[in-house]
Amino acid sequence: MKLKFTVNRRATTLEVTGAERVIDLLRERLGLVGTKEGCGKGECGACTVLLDGSPVCSCLLLSSQVAGREITTIEGLSEGESLHPVQAAFAETGAVQCGFCTPGLVLSSAALLADIPAPSREQMKRALAGNLCRCTGYQKIFEAVELASRNMRREKRRRR
Amino acid sequence: MREASVIAPRSLREALRAVGRKGVVAVAGGTDLLVRLHDVAAGERPSFLVLDGVRTLHSIAPRGKGLALGPLVTFSEIERSSLLRTLAPQLVEAASVAGSVQIRNRATLGGNIANGSPAGDLLPPLYVLSARLELSYSGGRRQVMIEDFFKGPGETVLRRNELITRVVFERSQNRGFFLRLAVRRALAISKVSVAANVSLRNGRVQSVRIALGAVAPTVLRASRTEEYLLGRELDRDSIETACGLASGEAAPIDDIRSEADYRREMVGVLLGRGLLRIASAR
Repeated sequence: MKLKFTVNRRATTLEVTGAERVIDLLRERLGLVGTKEGCGKGECGACTVLLDGSPVCSCLLLSSQVAGREITTIEGLSEGESLHPVQAAFAETGAVQCGFCTPGLVLSSAALLADIPAPSREQMKRALAGNLCRCTGYQKIFEAVELASRNMRREKRRRR
Repeated sequence: MREASVIAPRSLREALRAVGRKGVVAVAGGTDLLVRLHDVAAGERPSFLVLDGVRTLHSIAPRGKGLALGPLVTFSEIERSSLLRTLAPQLVEAASVAGSVQIRNRATLGGNIANGSPAGDLLPPLYVLSARLELSYSGGRRQVMIEDFFKGPGETVLRRNELITRVVFERSQNRGFFLRLAVRRALAISKVSVAANVSLRNGRVQSVRIALGAVAPTVLRASRTEEYLLGRELDRDSIETACGLASGEAAPIDDIRSEADYRREMVGVLLGRGLLRIASAR
């Protein structure tokens, strides 16, 4: 079948069986290897992508389920050379150690901040519960989300 | 390597024509099915009937005094529905504690039912809301009460050529809850869960339904406990007796997630927490 969908703001058409996992499509057909496969069973969140803006596990998603829809991967978050505020905050607070969970965590955090601009710690924990990190202990990740939240709100006020 | 084929219908009629075919498995959100197929080689996989494109299966709508939900309504949609928050708070509580954000964005009501797991978090709420399932096949449809749908773990009365096409339930009485225990708060299957739907009048229990999850081969109504509570005030003594009765009604097993004795005791603890919450909210 011919799959038409949007990947990182670009209209994309691929010949597919429809039964492939979206993570394989992204990594192997489109070369978007920022999306990582950890467990392959929806438990670790390393494969998180945004489907119409909402975080989902791309390892539990079939290509035929994304027809006509919009996918954002970590490669689509930055604009050219300038990082998304969440990416910048992760780098600044040291929320990245081995880095394997980072693309998923950044996408989940970006989706959270789009929904709730100034989340509480409790809301952060709930929103990021589907992304495992075995290095950081999460504290610096929460600090990064708080920093990104402050920066994004300041930027928004400045633009008004 | 042969990849399994996919059927992606745009209408219910097309979907019902395909569902009975040999080697075809219906996929709703896929969050359980694709985990089960994780270690199955591509050549051994079934063909997928991908239901996403059937618009009519996604709706949330009032029906009579209650609600009618399409089977493809996701946990996240349940969690965020203001209509459901008012009319079915137990279901909303259950939908918001299951899985993770990623899972809730894909997992569906119909998938949770069709899986037939006694630990499915939406099931105890559906039991206490007296849910009725509409099962359709290409020649017609039938109605089955949720309590008659499950035969055992993973076993239901759904026939090979049928799909769950609607889930209809009454609105909740004035008090209700869903509580569960699992190894951690997110992404863990329930060890035990309790849902209730209670109405109080002049401080006494006028009607009550209680359902227990993950403590028997199917979700279980705690009917002796319900009988005991009818007409009583919710005070320390009556709640304690009810918890003891409910523990006795559970028929749990030891398995990878928990032990029978612990589960039995926690049925009482969760019911106690929920009933206390109701008693102190008056």
